[in-house]
Amino acid sequence: MKKLNRRNFLKLAAGGSSALAAGLGFSQGALAGSIKLQEGGRDFSPTTKKALQAIPTACWQCVTRDAMMGYVEDGRLVKLEGHPDSIRTLGKLCAKGQAGVNHVYFPDRILYPMLRVGKRGEHKWKRVSWDEALDLMASKLKPLLDAGTPELFMYQYGRHKGSQSSIMHDFMDAFGSHTIGTHTSVCEGPKWVGQESLWGGMYDNWDYDHTDFVVNFGSNQFETHTNHIPTSQRLIRAMVDRNVPLYTFDVRLSNTAAKSTEWIPINVGMDGLVMLSMVNVIMNENLFRKDHLKYMRVSPDYHASDDEKIAAIKEHVAKFTPEFAEKESGVPADKIKQIARGYAKAKSACLIGYRGTVMHYHGADQERAAMLLSAITNNLDRKGGRVMGVGAGWKTPHSPKAKIQKGLDIVNGFPGEAAFPTHQVSQQNLPMIKDGQNGRPKVYWSSCNNQAFINGNNKEAEAVLKDESLIPFYVNSNIVYDESSQYADLILPDVTYLERWDTEDMVSPTGIAEFYIRQPLIKPLGESRDQGEIFAGLAKRLGIELAYTTKEEYVRQACEMTPGVREAGGFEYMKKHGVWHDKNAKPNFGFYEAKVDVSGDGVILDEKTGVYWNYKKAGVSEAEARSKGYLGVEGAKDAYVAQNIEGTPRKAYPPNTSFVKSGLLDFYSDNFAAKGFPPFPTYTPIPEHQKMGKDDLHLTTYKVAVHTHSRTAHCKWLSEIKHDNPAWINSKTAADRGIKDGDRIKVASDIGEITTTAHVTEGIIPGIIAISHHFGRQHSGIYGSGKSSPTPGGATADPDAKNMWWDKHGIHPNSIIPNSSDPISGGQRWMDTVVRVAKA
Amino acid sequence: MGINWKELANNAKSRSDIYGLMSTVFREEPSGDLIRDMRSPHLSEIFADLGVELGERFYTDLESKVMEELAIEYTRLFIGPGPHISAHESIFSEMDGDMSGLWGVKTVEVKKFIETTGLDYGKDFTGLPDHISVELEFMQKLTEWEADMWHQQYRKRAEYCLTVQGKFLDQHLFCWVDQFCDAVVHQAEIPFYRAMAELTKQYMAFERQSVATDTAA
Ligand code: SF4
Repeated sequence: MKKLNRRNFLKLAAGGSSALAAGLGFSQGALAGSIKLQEGGRDFSPTTKKALQAIPTACWQCVTRDAMMGYVEDGRLVKLEGHPDSIRTLGKLCAKGQAGVNHVYFPDRILYPMLRVGKRGEHKWKRVSWDEALDLMASKLKPLLDAGTPELFMYQYGRHKGSQSSIMHDFMDAFGSHTIGTHTSVCEGPKWVGQESLWGGMYDNWDYDHTDFVVNFGSNQFETHTNHIPTSQRLIRAMVDRNVPLYTFDVRLSNTAAKSTEWIPINVGMDGLVMLSMVNVIMNENLFRKDHLKYMRVSPDYHASDDEKIAAIKEHVAKFTPEFAEKESGVPADKIKQIARGYAKAKSACLIGYRGTVMHYHGADQERAAMLLSAITNNLDRKGGRVMGVGAGWKTPHSPKAKIQKGLDIVNGFPGEAAFPTHQVSQQNLPMIKDGQNGRPKVYWSSCNNQAFINGNNKEAEAVLKDESLIPFYVNSNIVYDESSQYADLILPDVTYLERWDTEDMVSPTGIAEFYIRQPLIKPLGESRDQGEIFAGLAKRLGIELAYTTKEEYVRQACEMTPGVREAGGFEYMKKHGVWHDKNAKPNFGFYEAKVDVSGDGVILDEKTGVYWNYKKAGVSEAEARSKGYLGVEGAKDAYVAQNIEGTPRKAYPPNTSFVKSGLLDFYSDNFAAKGFPPFPTYTPIPEHQKMGKDDLHLTTYKVAVHTHSRTAHCKWLSEIKHDNPAWINSKTAADRGIKDGDRIKVASDIGEITTTAHVTEGIIPGIIAISHHFGRQHSGIYGSGKSSPTPGGATADPDAKNMWWDKHGIHPNSIIPNSSDPISGGQRWMDTVVRVAKA
Repeated sequence: MGINWKELANNAKSRSDIYGLMSTVFREEPSGDLIRDMRSPHLSEIFADLGVELGERFYTDLESKVMEELAIEYTRLFIGPGPHISAHESIFSEMDGDMSGLWGVKTVEVKKFIETTGLDYGKDFTGLPDHISVELEFMQKLTEWEADMWHQQYRKRAEYCLTVQGKFLDQHLFCWVDQFCDAVVHQAEIPFYRAMAELTKQYMAFERQSVATDTAA
């Protein structure tokens, strides 16, 4: 007989099915019952052998917020693992996620409201009841309401997402204060600003499931990423199963670089330049694809033809030859050409980048170069390419808003500091409070935000928090005594994420949204309390009406309000299953091509930009709409309907952010031009780097796989793995300074000096020093800092503390990194600091 | 999610149907229904296409005669008395002493494997747990369940099911099915079982490749 192949296999199957209908009709099968295979979602006690209680919930160690299962035995949380039915995570969790258990039971956990009784920083505390704590807060907030100055109440948060964020905004709206500080500008703000100026949205993910080629600029994808577990496993699978190459440009041999097809060392701050030189190669060798051109604007002309656009792009990048890029970046011209060709010729390709690319001077513009490289090869929002992430769109309850709504202008940086601070300039919040010219809050409440650790020049931040004349009343919600809470007037014991309710919404790399919830695995320990419940307690005291009384109720309402989730069974379904997605949903590849009906009442075509917009929705008359045009009417962008693409109205890229733009990808940006920035992606040398002396070095920071920036030092399993951060320095750079591996060294910048240990290695380019930014904790409990916290419990509460074998806790580099912002986005320029290094 | 759920479900269902057919063929003497269906233009065409030669008389003799002859051949080949092929994994596995033979170590392993997936041996089933038809039926059920998981878009469960299939094939079916088929080819006196054994062997070779790819997917 013939050998079976795919074609005759299918034939045989057709035969099998018809024979089965006849054959098994009489023949009793041997096997009965039904298959109950389940990987994950079940676990057993090693002692009693009984099944553990399994509760679906979600991780919150990092922003990825993976759906997971918690296992509980006799009321104690014993284990965390991935949720087997999550389409994002495919049942996996990283080391940080698994160590989440440590948050609940670490010995220095704050479990009661604590009132300061000594001077700020004197570490003298008195335990108070929740009633006392809330009465005290209300006594400070009520006068602000009465005086019509709600803005003098500032809420400063770090990691709030999903319902934790929406409930906070709801409360602040009900109070009337817009003085809300975030942290995105110290994280990745420039990336989003760059994308928003083009895309009308933000948050790129990559379709690794279908990609054929991956180029990575400065992203430590395999160790830490904002969508880590969902994306890194897919990239690894693409590499292992389909031999997809991964080229990583980085100053340091990160574990991602080490696992790549090739690590391409690159000089600091040169990612954008190399990307532009890749554009140069692709354009000049005619390797580009025209498909996306009609959605791109590359010159002031909205109606340029394809040929004119091609000519304009070529002209823009003409000077960025591979040879020029080689001189500046250190990457050989031939390597640039090779990777550019491979990238352009691949059927589909992903261009990834992150902090290494964007936390620089003009970092937002470097992200625009990354988008350009994706667009000219038709790898934007296409299968196998860089795609706009899709998250869950939860509906949430809304409380009545206060009549007076005001905010202090202290979250967007000093006047003139940043042109488009759409993700704030949070590193300057405390310096601006110190400065005082835009006002100061009277009540400052921070939650999950360690200002005195995470910002540049963190010693200055610490001093501001300590100064009662600058911040008269300071409340800190926390689970651990840290660099910031030590100066609070009142510490509120927060629940851990394993003890609270939330709706969650992090984007899915597959283009299909996953709705999931977080639910308490155990009762909150001690008197710890969720922020949502604290808002409710305060609202009662302040006479504010809220749409919920508990966080659980808030989440329940969200589940019952959200289409899809509601029909699946709402809150009860989500409690039982934890995750839900629409099985009929299709990935959103090519969403921009969707045809749009423009026959609606009030929809007109703006000839200049090619935008269809609804002047009625914008609240102007037709005459005014026509005379002023789409760009001339304030708020017209919110009335955007479609973009005229070669005579057809299409969805294109709607201006969904604060950027006023057409539906085209604004590679030529009037917004940028108007503020004096290059309208087309370009290479702008970093001023500090231009002035470097012979002996100066670059200082860069990085993350390790087992820690978040500031929230995991007290997790004993993680700190046992990683608790120290010697400075990486190239052997040649070290030899020039007489430094040997293990030597103590001094690293000095213009604002300070630290002493640390040298890790001499070939795994970093010469001329720089790299120090990870998790360590050197003043406080973070016994495991993070070596010091037990001055709060009840302390290290004696954990017999395991005796087994702690490490006594090194590293050094924090932020005290020598100044707060300086990307003038475009306001992002903190972590990677631009210049230092001098010498043997200590 | 970049996954063609329908295609994956259909693929698993196809495998299930083929396992089902083979399980039926080796379970017991063919029924009139099965013979009628295999002689239908639809199936005979497929077999002809694949080069599966059931013999001219399978198609031309009276159905009752074919049934009778196949019943005799089945008994002679697989039941005895006298020299026959005992269609059980433990007979084919090379183990010392009492470890092999009927109800040997392998039989217990197969039984345990099947039972840990939630399935059970039906109360009317009088055969031994590691009969070739049981192992093929087990694969039929696993692949059917896999198809259902793809259909419901449970990727993790479907992939896990593929892993379980891979394990069962590697630890059991693949270890002896070729030898078994060769023995049948060698000892068959009429073409039907020879052709079916050849087809089974071919299909297992195909599975070796495709399951290895699938489980890695
Ligand atoms: S990537 Fe790790 S830390 Fe982040 S949410 Fe997932 S499991 Fe948790």
